[in-house]
Amino acid sequence: MSASQEATSSRNLRLALAGGATALSMIGLTFAAAPFYTAFCRATGYEGTPQIVKADASSKGSRTLRVAFDANVAPGLAWRLEPETDAVRVRTGKTTTVYFRAQNLSDKETAANATYNVTPEVSGAWFDKVQCFCFSEQHLGPHETAEWPVVFFLDPKLETDPSMARVDSITLSYTLFAAPEPRASAGASKRAGLAGG
Amino acid sequence: MASVSHFTDTEVHAHDDHEHPVPTGWRRYLLSTNHKDIGTLYLIFAISAGILGTALSVAIRAELMFPGIQVFPSIAHVLMGNGSLDAGKHMYNVFFTSHALIMIFFMVMPAMMGGFGNWFVPLMIGAPDMAFPRMNNLSFWLLPASFTMVMISLFVEGEPGMHGFGGGWVLYPPFASLAGSPGPSVDFVILSMHLAGMSSILGSINFIATILNMRAPGMTMFRMPLFVWSVLVTAFLLLLALPVLAGALTMLLTDRNFGTTFFNPAGGGDPILYQHVFWFFGHPEVYILIIPGFGIVSQVVSTFAKKPVFGYAGMVYAMLAIALLGFVVWAHHMFTTGMSLNAQRYYVLATMVIAVPTGVKVFSWIATMWGGSLQLRPPMLWAIGFIFVFTVGGVTGVVLANAAIDRYVHDTYYVVAHFHYTMSLGAVFSIFAGFYYWFPKMSGYLYNEAMAKLHFWLTFVGINLTFFPQHFLGFAGMPRRIVDYTDAYFAWNFVSSIGAYISGAGALLFLYLIYEAFKAKRHAPNNPWGPGATTLEWTLSSPPPFHQFLTPPHIEEEEVGHTIAAGRA
Repeated sequence: MSASQEATSSRNLRLALAGGATALSMIGLTFAAAPFYTAFCRATGYEGTPQIVKADASSKGSRTLRVAFDANVAPGLAWRLEPETDAVRVRTGKTTTVYFRAQNLSDKETAANATYNVTPEVSGAWFDKVQCFCFSEQHLGPHETAEWPVVFFLDPKLETDPSMARVDSITLSYTLFAAPEPRASAGASKRAGLAGG
Repeated sequence: MASVSHFTDTEVHAHDDHEHPVPTGWRRYLLSTNHKDIGTLYLIFAISAGILGTALSVAIRAELMFPGIQVFPSIAHVLMGNGSLDAGKHMYNVFFTSHALIMIFFMVMPAMMGGFGNWFVPLMIGAPDMAFPRMNNLSFWLLPASFTMVMISLFVEGEPGMHGFGGGWVLYPPFASLAGSPGPSVDFVILSMHLAGMSSILGSINFIATILNMRAPGMTMFRMPLFVWSVLVTAFLLLLALPVLAGALTMLLTDRNFGTTFFNPAGGGDPILYQHVFWFFGHPEVYILIIPGFGIVSQVVSTFAKKPVFGYAGMVYAMLAIALLGFVVWAHHMFTTGMSLNAQRYYVLATMVIAVPTGVKVFSWIATMWGGSLQLRPPMLWAIGFIFVFTVGGVTGVVLANAAIDRYVHDTYYVVAHFHYTMSLGAVFSIFAGFYYWFPKMSGYLYNEAMAKLHFWLTFVGINLTFFPQHFLGFAGMPRRIVDYTDAYFAWNFVSSIGAYISGAGALLFLYLIYEAFKAKRHAPNNPWGPGATTLEWTLSSPPPFHQFLTPPHIEEEEVGHTIAAGRA
């Protein structure tokens, strides 16, 4: 191998390593996209992610919208969940409380987490939750029932968002999922729960 | 002008320098490190996969020829021993899913990058071989393994009680998650894509190293033929986009098998995240499928117009611009997932901007032909056909870029017509242009030009008849990916199916043409295309020697984009 051939192959090797490193870092960035996406949704309300706030609205708005409620229980969890009312009419900036009734239909104590979002998705940025059972894991004893409050308001700033101009009704939807069981059997139960219906 | 005698000289040198004999038999191919042999393997693989993919699409069109469900229950009966209506519907879904996977990953990509790229990048830049010949071998042989995985996926359970995965090539959760498809079929598809992705990533690293580092003296970047530029741009796209697909599919795989919840709302995940990540790969992927075609068409048009490509530098920058823009428009595939108006405005605008560099390319091809001494030989017919169908597909792309219109035609046959005009017609026409352009060089034989022209006209008429009416069906609201339709859509579906049969006949004619060319053994001269063919490969014998350019040719200053080899360094 001549000197120039050697130089060529060492330059080739450097290019290959750079290429390999690029590919690996793209895979890394792809995985980093998952937490970034969650944070992005929380921050911007993207995909109908409601905002979590500490205090009530500081000002009152002028529009009145319908807020409808939807409650679901994922397969594999023997609970029932329903809102006390199908829908309420809410003026922007006015804090509203709605109760959800939950019941454990099984003979043992179980835990569940609720996932939630609002549709149309663009309203996520203006749907502010002050208090919600979905913020933490819920436990119910055998056949126990509970009434959970959801405290929310619609941010008056939604009136300035052109995406919201034609939105008159927002649906807040919950789905209760069984909380992950202790580590040992988590995978197996998840497979059975989701696939088996 | 190129000094042919010089290359004969190099050739003799090549044989002198090389001690070990050319391997023969299966060892020559299985253990091959020769870029031309590996290119040939890629082309054979791509043609075989293309025939299978075409057969799947003809079955789909046979089903859609009439309203009702007639064909697929019988196919399901043969393939999975269940001839029920539900099995038939499922098998239809499996067929269009496999059609897409096979055509994208096992036909277009191997033909363009693996086949023509391997064959002609080293020849065009005056290199003796690829930078990493053994890695090249690995790149190829990962593909049959990947293809085997996809074939296995057809015969194992996907949805409960059904064989194969029928959720579309995009593999969206939750249908591709355990919730929709608990069987192992999806896992096989995912692993198959992992192998295909690895193959392409290794291949792209190889191309980048070869093109950046192995050019003959005097072959500066801006003297490279446009085909080499197109392969370089595509290699960068592959390197940046395919790992993203690999990552997304790995997340899906761990969601399915190891209890993670990237896309599972039960654990705080979101299926929409998958769509974002997938299309971040998926949109560059469609440019991966078409940009090498741009390169091929540039070579062919310039050859048969006997003029250098008009606006060489503009063509290079247009490809770079298309590649870069390809990474920032992904959510135009997701206009219906609930984005704010401002996000939609951005994606509409960014998508439409792509029409500018694409227009630069189309106008430059036309300007290359303008005033040229045109010869309508078969490669040129395919290249002009490409410019026509790709422009039609580009125009419907601008229509679809509008979020407001997309809302109406999302997931309808309008979209199907659009991407088939760019892919099934555009990419495939450029592959045939390249095939007919380089076949004499690769095989050493001339094909029957009358037959090649008949192949072009059959395909051109057939495929336009297939896909043009689908615009009407889409605007009339016919959804894609559904086995049956209301009677109102019958007429244009019937026409579309007739078109598919005609282009299917074209594919059979193509196979016969190859057979005839090898049987008749009409020896090809070094340069069958005359003075317009100025790139380095035409200075070598047909087929080229097993090893070439062991003493690099020296490239001297000529018209831009029109490099001509001259005397030795």
